[in-house]
Amino acid sequence: MSLWKTFTQNCAALSLNCREASRAQSDALEAPLPPAKRVGLWIHLLLCKWCRRYGRQLRLLHCAAHEHAAQLAETGPEKLPADARARIKQRLQEEQDTNSTN
Amino acid sequence: MDEYGDYLFKFALLRLRDEARAADAVQETFLAALRGRKAFAGRSSEKSWLTSILKNKIYDHFRQSSRETTFTDLEFFDQEEGEGFVPEGLGQGGWIHEQGPQEWAKAGESLDNELFWKTYRDCASRLPDKVAAVFNLREVDGVDSREICTLLNVSESNLWVMLHRARMALRQCLEANWFGKQVPARKR
Repeated sequence: MSLWKTFTQNCAALSLNCREASRAQSDALEAPLPPAKRVGLWIHLLLCKWCRRYGRQLRLLHCAAHEHAAQLAETGPEKLPADARARIKQRLQEEQDTNSTN
Repeated sequence: MDEYGDYLFKFALLRLRDEARAADAVQETFLAALRGRKAFAGRSSEKSWLTSILKNKIYDHFRQSSRETTFTDLEFFDQEEGEGFVPEGLGQGGWIHEQGPQEWAKAGESLDNELFWKTYRDCASRLPDKVAAVFNLREVDGVDSREICTLLNVSESNLWVMLHRARMALRQCLEANWFGKQVPARKR
């Protein structure tokens, strides 16, 4: 009985709280967490559905960021402004002319 | 240039957030491409070749313009980050239930919805410039953390803080303005 109690008390002590866990889930995307934090996060996620959701939502956010960038570049409404386009074409022409006279 | 001008412009615009800078980056890209076209020699697709030149021009811009990290970038979402959690006493650090992550029903399907993308754009536009740059470089372009630190002249600890807050802010904004408003199918 007391062994179990000791075990659960130790788990509780090691566990991160939700605020720490949200930071840890973000940091874990950057580099492996130090061992104590990794264990603390793991324990917390076992017990906390809110933080499990948070983790799932971070992963969805990653997909959304990618998809957003791809969509924007492929199908977004923006266009290279006409004056910029003209300026670039002229600059390229100048460059080509410089090369052909050298 | 006619074929890829708009695409490259949009690519740069997302990352540089400024039309004039984006146009400059596109110009630099085409100039570099013109000068280096012999080296290209059809090794990969033209589009991906031009895009990789553009990426480097964008990174050059970041390197040159990132002298210091502003107060806004470091303070962004600082207060809000703590507001969702029990501040003290019993349950300290736990999600305040009404503020905690809600279930996002059929989240994947939202990515097919044009209105969702409008919401996403609005949420993303609220990030300060450096925070947005950090987020895009890491999440979209997958640039290594240490390289981002060099590019944007930020410490690794500041980088991680900015990433955490960007993720938290975006998540919260999307939940408040999109996912939290979706009616689950079974309730109809």
